[in-house]
This record gives sequence, C-alpha cells and structure tokens, in this order.
Amino acid sequence: MKVTLTDQEEITVVEVTGDIDSKTAPEFERNAKLATDRNDKIAIDLTAVEFMSSAGLRVLLMVYRNIKSQNGKVILVGVSEDIQDVMSTTGFINFFKIVGTVAEAVVILKQD
Amino acid sequence: MESKSFPGVVASLDGLRDYVDELSRQAGLAKKATYGLKLAVDEIATNIILYGYEKAGLVADFRVLSEITEQELIVILEDEAAAFDPLANQMPDASDLSKSLEDREIGGLGIFLTIKGVDNFSYEYFNGKNRNVFVMKKQQS
Repeated sequence: MKVTLTDQEEITVVEVTGDIDSKTAPEFERNAKLATDRNDKIAIDLTAVEFMSSAGLRVLLMVYRNIKSQNGKVILVGVSEDIQDVMSTTGFINFFKIVGTVAEAVVILKQD
Repeated sequence: MESKSFPGVVASLDGLRDYVDELSRQAGLAKKATYGLKLAVDEIATNIILYGYEKAGLVADFRVLSEITEQELIVILEDEAAAFDPLANQMPDASDLSKSLEDREIGGLGIFLTIKGVDNFSYEYFNGKNRNVFVMKKQQS
C-alpha cells in the first residue's frame, strides 16, 4: 500500500493505492493524520483500493472525528462496491459523502 | 483437506487473502461472496496474529485447511494460541451501528463483518488448537 498527499489550495487529497489491512492501516492512519493537521477539508481517494478491513474503518472513524472537531469536511472518492457494502453494513456510509472523482470532490469542498 | 501454513505476522495477510481468492475461484464463488470470505478470514487471522500470538509473545505459524465439496467451500483457520472464542464477545447491535461515529465504540466490528461475510461461521477448540470455521455455499447452477 502507498499513500500520497497532495495539497490543492486549501484542500488536501489523500490518495491510497493497494489494500488496507492491519499491516498497512498504521501507514494510512499516519498520513490521514498529517492531512487533517494540515487542512480541515480532506478528500480521501480510494479508487485504487480493492480491499479494506475493519482496520481501515478505524482510520476513517479517526478522520471523521478529527474533521468534525475542526468543523471541516471529508469526502471519499472512488469507493469500490465491495467496500461500500461493508460501509453500509457497519453504518459508516451515512457519515461520508462519496463521489466518483477527485475533481468532483474538490468542487464540493471548495463550495463552503 | 488441503493445508497451507503462514507465519503468524501481519505481513502474511496479503498472501493469505490471495490464497483465499484462489480457493474461491476453484469453488466458483461469485465476486461478492469471495470478498465476504476474504474479509472474514482477514479479520479472524488479524485477531489471531495480534492478540493470540504477538500480544502473548508467541511466535508460531497458523494453518489454513480447506475443502471444496459438492455444495460448499470450507475454510478453517487453525492456530496454537490460548483458547479464544471470537463468538463469546459481545457484538455491536443495530442501535450501536446506527450511532453517530462520534459516539460509537469501535470494538467488535471485525467479528461482526466476519459473521456477515460468510454463510456460516463457527468456532471450536480441538486438540489444543483454535479452529475458526468459515463455510460458503457454492452457487447452484
């Protein structure tokens, strides 16, 4: 798994490539934390993530709490059908906006 | 039964999922069922590795036993850690899962996803080993 952070003005995009499991989640968490320290508007691009276990859900929970406490906003991008199913089963899906592309996410995040 | 061993470390999870992928392919499971099984096996293996082995200071392998019958794919994770029944812990219920992410406890999601992901999950302690048993029904053609 690889994580890349890119700043687009006041927005930080966290791009993840590869599987998120209990081996790789700490690296995802470290980068997500850097992103929320840097900006309160975050897009997490999961287009290139095929698999995410509950270790990844824990990181999303941490991001959600960090962003919420800063009155910021987080959008998930390109979440696979399998991962969306897991997010529905666990009730996570109600708390995240999910869009298809980073460009869409940036437009929405810039609006407010 | 087929059998394959993996070192009890998180670096094994990737290869473990590939192996489950391969077994699912052999059994002809659909894509969604394959993902559910892969997630279930990953969650239970993670618990074995992090709590059964690493936290207890135990260095050991765990084994994947599998069998494809006419109707089912059966996958068994077998480990040498202290007896631990994942079904004995309390699971999140509907009210926990509808709670805001700010208020909810994060524990128990792994076993919850395990049970949701497979057609049947059971646990037994047999011959000094934990056996976590995952069953997937094959699709009727």
